[in-house]
Amino acid sequence: MSFLNYLVSGLSLGSIYAIIALGYTMVYGIAKMLNFAHGDVIMVGGYICFFAVQRFGFPPIVGVIVAMALCTCLGIIIERLAYKPLRSAPSLAVLITAIGVSYFLQNSAQLLWTSNPKVFASVVGDGTIQMGDLVVSHVTIVTIIVCIVIMLVLTAFVSKTKMGKAMRAVSEDKGAAQLMGIDVNTTISVTFAIGSGLAAIAGVLLCSAYPTLMPTTGSMPGIKAFTAAVFGGIGSIPGAFLGGLLLGIIENLAKAYISTQLSDAIVFGVLIVVLLVKPAGLLGKAVREKV
Amino acid sequence: MSSNYVLECENLGIVFGGLAAVDQFNIQVAPKEVAGLIGPNGAGKTTVFNLLTKVYEPTSGTIKLNGKDTKGETTVSLSKAGIARTFQNIRLFGNLSVADNVIAAMNQSMKYSLFESTFRLPRFWKEEKAAREKALELLSIFDMQDMADVKSSSLPYGAQRRLEITRALATNPSLLLLDEPAAGMNPAETAELMENIGKIRDTFGIAILLIEHDMSLVMGVCDQITVLNFGQVIAHGTPAEIQSNPVVIEAYLGKKKEE
Amino acid sequence: MKKLKNLVKSKNNAWLTYAVVVIAYVIMASLRASGNLSSKMSGMLVPICAYVAMALALNLTVGIIGELSLGHAGFMSIGAFAGTSLIVIMQYNGVASPTVRLVVGMIFAAVVTAVCGFLIGIPVLRLRGDYLAIVTLAFAEIIKSLFANMYLGIDETGLHFSIVEKKFELTETGRIIIEGAMGIRSITKISTFLAGFILVMICLIVIFNLMQSRTGRAIMAIRDNRIAAESIGIPVFKYKITAFTISAAMAGAAGCLFGNNYSSLVASKFNIDTSILILVFVVLGGQGNMLGSIIAATALTVLPEALRSFADYRMLVYAIVLIVVMLTTNNPQLKALVSNFKEKFSKKKEGESAGGLANE
Repeated sequence: MSFLNYLVSGLSLGSIYAIIALGYTMVYGIAKMLNFAHGDVIMVGGYICFFAVQRFGFPPIVGVIVAMALCTCLGIIIERLAYKPLRSAPSLAVLITAIGVSYFLQNSAQLLWTSNPKVFASVVGDGTIQMGDLVVSHVTIVTIIVCIVIMLVLTAFVSKTKMGKAMRAVSEDKGAAQLMGIDVNTTISVTFAIGSGLAAIAGVLLCSAYPTLMPTTGSMPGIKAFTAAVFGGIGSIPGAFLGGLLLGIIENLAKAYISTQLSDAIVFGVLIVVLLVKPAGLLGKAVREKV
Repeated sequence: MSSNYVLECENLGIVFGGLAAVDQFNIQVAPKEVAGLIGPNGAGKTTVFNLLTKVYEPTSGTIKLNGKDTKGETTVSLSKAGIARTFQNIRLFGNLSVADNVIAAMNQSMKYSLFESTFRLPRFWKEEKAAREKALELLSIFDMQDMADVKSSSLPYGAQRRLEITRALATNPSLLLLDEPAAGMNPAETAELMENIGKIRDTFGIAILLIEHDMSLVMGVCDQITVLNFGQVIAHGTPAEIQSNPVVIEAYLGKKKEE
Repeated sequence: MKKLKNLVKSKNNAWLTYAVVVIAYVIMASLRASGNLSSKMSGMLVPICAYVAMALALNLTVGIIGELSLGHAGFMSIGAFAGTSLIVIMQYNGVASPTVRLVVGMIFAAVVTAVCGFLIGIPVLRLRGDYLAIVTLAFAEIIKSLFANMYLGIDETGLHFSIVEKKFELTETGRIIIEGAMGIRSITKISTFLAGFILVMICLIVIFNLMQSRTGRAIMAIRDNRIAAESIGIPVFKYKITAFTISAAMAGAAGCLFGNNYSSLVASKFNIDTSILILVFVVLGGQGNMLGSIIAATALTVLPEALRSFADYRMLVYAIVLIVVMLTTNNPQLKALVSNFKEKFSKKKEGESAGGLANE
């Protein structure tokens, strides 16, 4: 396989990471918390689509929409039940609660659907396209395109719409935003809704590319995407994209050219080096403490 | 020629993103002298303090502490060299007791090692005891020795300010920087503070540079006053000279409307 | 009388903690010696000690220094592999006494992990908050990857080592120590409850004596207000790295104890799930509260076993318990409810004792 091939599939993997990273970064920027359970919402999205398509026989696109809808609801429910009561709690407490939610989701999935891997049928079929020397699967292309579309839509949403402005205001100063009449609760719920909806898309795309689905499927991609979000500068939307894409490319190239077994170590090694040089992440802003 | 001044600044300045927050700042403070730094809000007074303590690195000019240029020093090394400060927004160690706040400032002068403290060897006990005694002694300046074991975050505001000053003194400085020590104090407390500043100066023989908005304090306790506006020195002199200086009056009150 | 009350109230009372641990050890050891302890419970004694020591180590980083580490399992891993490797080598070279092997192994594990902790701490402690947390996670993953791809063997010609592939052949009398993803196998189980107890006591003594010393004071000052700490001359990095290194050493010793309690040791055991497990102990027990860590670590190690009757549901129950406990201890409304109740209760008590004193 050629370098270009690895690059393209790395871009595809990175797109998935980017979509997941978006959820992490938005929730962090606006609700100021690390939603550890985000990776598991991905898994739930995958399962919902799986059952919709392969058990109930709906067409794939319906499966995706159902997954998005249900995950969005799931995200809002989790936020209201587990995170909202802890708005004023120390961040470590919220993190642990998020961990509890993560375990809850994983174990519920295990009880409901067993840990036997399900074989996921790709939502865009198994076709490939030939572009010169390159053989690229439909899944790969769709993934990259979806990622770009999401990036454009989200950027427009955040900068042009009223809710987007509200989100930016809340991320800057929650108290002031509230005083200006912004409904902070709704804004945060919308953030979780968007993040969870995106997680569902990521879940579907992930399982289309890597067809085994288990309760633990979301865990490692979740960690890597979280890493990507920090890598790109936590709280920054373009940062999440950049971080996700770069992480996917680096991981794939490391697998191809250095070692499959050590690829994870290399990815994390790169992260460490970057953070040493740019402590606030690639696109993050170093917040100056007022003395 | 080595000077006798504790603090000497020559053309000190810093530029933030194109804007000169402090420009051409000059000052000389001798031992046992109380110098005042006043000016409207945003004039750059705290920035001067941050420059002196190397929280910011100056982009121009020199700072000399006891005759020695402080280029290359850091906040931490300057503490050893003899500068202590208090902050505009009180920065106490909230979870530590009153006494521990002061003893923390003596940390670098205590010599026992981690080994000695893990095995509770004699030097540990000796130095801790001495430190506590010194802390109580310092706390008695502001009559706070009875509050020694109270959690510092539970102190009333005025007491917190006094504690911050005590903590600064515990580092044995030759220059004490006080950032708005009378903020939030009523006239009685301010008068007491004035007395205590004088007492500190006489007992410890140090130089004091203070930022203040309370004019009664400034005029009452300072030997010299420097006035800043928009980062630049607009006047310098004795309290009497400053009080009648039209440039200063204009800076604070605005230009008198031509009739 | 008042002094004693304050002493007992003080959250981090060292002597109370020592007493609890000693008493617990004496009770459990005598129960086991007299045959009154179920084999399941007996088998948990060493893991409990290891997890308690890990929790104490992590509490030093999270509760005392105040920095979140999501990768402490990495230190446990280093200690486990380094210590166990040395123990296997000693066994191969004819060191007969298991006690000697264990003690030397654990000390070696602590030292090696301390050095690694120091080296890792240098870049890590330059970062703040969430970035620091992510880098600790990254290091732990790297460590896991490295150990899962490492090959170490010993025979008459000496030690052989390679990465990624097994690039050496051992003679017939040789013994492979670390075998890539299969880790270390055929371990002679030499960890004892006594060793675990001693480890926990050492960790406690080191931590309490550190907290009540100028090092502890400096660290707590840094945590409360880093800028003020610098202004009084405290070298922030030096103290942070000192505590971090000690924390790593303890985790390493705990890892070695843990590793020699099972017949095999794999790198994948020391993953983010383990790091998080320990973090939960620390947060539930209270940051900076050592006795809390001990109780939480013990309870949460025993709980999944006690919940075995729930079979498949136990991890779910565990998750729910976690969420509920966090909500009730952190939600202001629920907290106020609890503290009102406490106040009413203590006012009643004070009234009684005041009356009592007046009568003396």
